[in-house]
Amino acid sequence: MSAQFFLQQCLIGLTNGALIALVALGYTMVYGIIGLINFAHGDLIMLGACLALSIVGALGLAAVDPAVTWVAIAGLVLVCGLACGSLNVAVDRIVYKPLRNAPKLAPLVSAIGVSFIFMNIGLFWLGSADRSFPELLPSDNVLPDDWGLQFTQKDRLVVLIVVPLMVALSILVRWTKLGKAMRAVSQDPTAAALVGVDVDRVIAATFFIGGFLGGAASVVYSLYINTIGFQMGFQNGLYAFTAAVLGGIGSIPGAVLGGVVIGLVRALASAYVGERWTGAIVFAILIVILVFRPEGLLGRRVREKV
Amino acid sequence: MLEVRDLEAGYGPIRALDGVSIEIGEGETVAIIGANGAGKTTLLMAISGVVPTRRGSVTFRGQPLTGLPTHAIAKLGVGHAPEGRRIFPRLSVRENLQLGGFTQTNRAAVARDIDEACAIFPVLGERMSQMGGTLSGGEQQMLALARALVGRPKLLLLDEPSLGLAPLIVQKIFEVIGSLSKRGIAVVLVEQNARAALKLADRGYVLETGRITLSGSGKELSGDRRVREAYLGEG
Repeated sequence: MSAQFFLQQCLIGLTNGALIALVALGYTMVYGIIGLINFAHGDLIMLGACLALSIVGALGLAAVDPAVTWVAIAGLVLVCGLACGSLNVAVDRIVYKPLRNAPKLAPLVSAIGVSFIFMNIGLFWLGSADRSFPELLPSDNVLPDDWGLQFTQKDRLVVLIVVPLMVALSILVRWTKLGKAMRAVSQDPTAAALVGVDVDRVIAATFFIGGFLGGAASVVYSLYINTIGFQMGFQNGLYAFTAAVLGGIGSIPGAVLGGVVIGLVRALASAYVGERWTGAIVFAILIVILVFRPEGLLGRRVREKV
Repeated sequence: MLEVRDLEAGYGPIRALDGVSIEIGEGETVAIIGANGAGKTTLLMAISGVVPTRRGSVTFRGQPLTGLPTHAIAKLGVGHAPEGRRIFPRLSVRENLQLGGFTQTNRAAVARDIDEACAIFPVLGERMSQMGGTLSGGEQQMLALARALVGRPKLLLLDEPSLGLAPLIVQKIFEVIGSLSKRGIAVVLVEQNARAALKLADRGYVLETGRITLSGSGKELSGDRRVREAYLGEG
């Protein structure tokens, strides 16, 4: 149990955590803007992985020259991102929008329904058995050998895709007109409409961005784990949703922090305690944190102000 | 410039407005007074398209507003500083003001309008990077008013701008409202503070349980016996 071993687990945890965070952003953004826990988000990512697998198969991307692999990956992220973003907008338009003024439970149950529909589409697309995703990247170490740490090309891929996306998202939310409109709508949709913000368009944009990040996550996941299946959305969605709640649902930095914390806890728990305890430990920590900070790590304490 | 004809609106089974007709001319300041629950806020919300209308029409500069979404009405030049101020509490004062200029396409013009708003309310200029929710009630009201002004409205709907504020701040707010007509902005002022509102307004309407029961110039209404008894605390 050397320091090196510990560092290695942290590295694994951070990489996994980044991926969880990317998915958690989709949950937290939609929750932030319309207060809906989008249970279908994990399954949206599963469909993104299906699409990625079909594209890789159809274009024979597994056999391309290593020099163009990165171009192929960037293309996959873009295509799957656009597809998942558009699908997310379509679902909002067809399913959630008509329920905008209904009690909160109605869109929530509808989201569970959408999750099942997506899962059935995935079942039809992939079949019931898990499918292996072609190895587009080799697993060789990119760190110098004498460091004694493993950080493979795949790990690097996660960082290279997730970090720029998160930076882009923060810039968008913080500085652009759309970002300000998104924050305004999440705080007071009526007041936002009164200053001229088209609330429905802002909500659609939020669904698109959350879906785009999910689509990007589906590609990263497929290339990183190399196994996909129609049920993958459930477990991954659950961890990501947990990350969003842990960080404070509705908070974008919270989702990132929650993802990293859960990634680290998972990696350390499986290394030091045992793989089979991982889930129990993650959720035990979640419960403890929520007992003391129900609003999550970076969440806002909900206070009624008169 | 604004013509409301026989307007009926409400929430579920409740009919909050029952055939209201009012008119506002270019650059005119019109007060609407009435007791709690008379339908004053609903009237403004119906003009802005937040509360759907069931019957009747709203026309702004010859264009029907009925059925238009709220953001489109705002874009036509109808500003609205709603009841309870409703500033964005977790956006900075600057961001709140920038959102006021959301419908403007010229960023430099918005920046100029923000500077101008800060000249009217210097305290906002000092609090630019503070979160809206950390401001005092009076400052929040100034922010709500400034936010609406940055949108360059031709008509401004003001809902209880003096509610819960210290007398000195009320005076300041009313001073600013009084100066709006010089800038060519028409104002619909909904107020509990009937005395101050009627003093300021060119004309006024009395709204009682969803109907207009009296109308006239500010002076006429302040002199009316029924108004004095019911709304000015005399009698």
